[in-house]
Amino acid sequence: MKLNYSLITRRTFLNTLFGGWLVAFCSGTFYALMKFAFPTLGKEPDFVVLNKKDFTGLASNSIKRFPWGGTVGLYYTKADGSVIALKGVCSHMECNVDYKPAEKRFYCACHQGWFDENGKNVAGPPPKPLEIFVISEEGEKLIIAKKGVKVELPKA
Amino acid sequence: MNCPRLKDWLDERYDWDAIKKLAKSKLVPEHRYDLWYYTGGITFFLFIIQFVSGMLMALYYVPHVDFAHKSIIEIVTKLNMGWFFRSLHHWGAQLAIAFLFIHLFGTLLLKSYRKPREFVWVTGFVLLGISIFFGLSGYLLLWDERAFAATRVATGGAGAFPFIGWFIKAFLRGSMDVTGDTLLRFYAFHVAILPIITLGLIGLHVLLVQYHGMSVPLTLEKEKLRQAPFFPNVFYKDLMIWLAVMGILVTFTVLMPPEIGVKADPLAPPPENIKPEWYFLFLLQTLKLFPGEILGLNGETIAILLVACAILFFFLIPFFDRKSSRGEKSPLFTWIGVIYLLYFLTMTVVGFLS
Repeated sequence: MKLNYSLITRRTFLNTLFGGWLVAFCSGTFYALMKFAFPTLGKEPDFVVLNKKDFTGLASNSIKRFPWGGTVGLYYTKADGSVIALKGVCSHMECNVDYKPAEKRFYCACHQGWFDENGKNVAGPPPKPLEIFVISEEGEKLIIAKKGVKVELPKA
Repeated sequence: MNCPRLKDWLDERYDWDAIKKLAKSKLVPEHRYDLWYYTGGITFFLFIIQFVSGMLMALYYVPHVDFAHKSIIEIVTKLNMGWFFRSLHHWGAQLAIAFLFIHLFGTLLLKSYRKPREFVWVTGFVLLGISIFFGLSGYLLLWDERAFAATRVATGGAGAFPFIGWFIKAFLRGSMDVTGDTLLRFYAFHVAILPIITLGLIGLHVLLVQYHGMSVPLTLEKEKLRQAPFFPNVFYKDLMIWLAVMGILVTFTVLMPPEIGVKADPLAPPPENIKPEWYFLFLLQTLKLFPGEILGLNGETIAILLVACAILFFFLIPFFDRKSSRGEKSPLFTWIGVIYLLYFLTMTVVGFLS
């Protein structure tokens, strides 16, 4: 089909071309800037390896802290002597939780959240329980891992 | 002062008389609410103090996770007048935020945001947001326990925002958790990125105010008001008020220097009865109202969304308030303004007392 008249003027065509170029240039620049500004993120560890002897003979009804990536894990010896390991970060706003031996509960000072002996959220704003880790031993090493993670230690 | 040769020198290059005439032509109406006009100027003055005292401390502060806390202790204990300038910067920030809120609610209740001044409101609102981010980022630079927990909560709270939350959170933190990367990032925001944006926005805000002239409250618009020249009458009043504010500021600075807590330890729990800065208390109290779960949904996300909506509505008030933009009385928006103000005040007080 032949049109007798042009659908767009030369001016419209050029404006669109230059405008499009400008938008493309600016968005490319912005993308590059943001790409640099956005950090390359680390990853939360799947497991950490600790020295077993640091964690033996702990008093019952107490916690011992260990580094879990950039945050904290708690090695918790219950009053009956059994142990569990949990992530010491409140599920509400990510503050570190503290253990209250008298109440046998975990407490977050930021917004008054409470968790029971098994890390279950029992009072205050926390929406979820504390994350429970799996404890295993290998020789002198104590391995604390996320649930469902297969631990493969590098061969020394 | 009379230097005819200097005056001639300038006259040959610039149209000096036209500049003078322009300055003389600026008039400010006089009425019973004109005290509110000074709140913006006070905030501006406090910003100048923040810039100067901040520049001074930047000469000595070390933005590194191992040295930041110690460098502040050294600024306060070893440098000449270090304690004074750190305290001045702290109290200057508190007063600046306080006057920003006073300026904001004054503008809101007198409806100075109405047509044609919507963009003055928009620039001012963005400046308030930036100032709060100034407060948050400056606070982390102490790298003490309270700052550490506050930053985790604030950035984590942003992370609860649906869809883009994780992006904002990672962007702010510079890593998965609040670490030395976050400290460096907040330092860059605090001393480079935010100040330059602030300067630009203050320039635009003030320019727009000059362009539109001073807003007169709706009830007085029809009356014939006396006009006072800005130079020198109002300007001198400004200076007098700034001097009084300076007096209040220095009194706080000298009598109540801020503390610095124990150095942040990512393994340690935050101190008991930890509280954020006073201008975050209303947010904290709002978050506390929500249970962890509402109808199977994350209560935190709902809380953050509701707060975001309330702030967005507040921001858009000039565009919703059709009546006052037509020059009619708009009692509905007066009530909305009063409700916002009362909510902010009540929640702040409750947060302070609990």
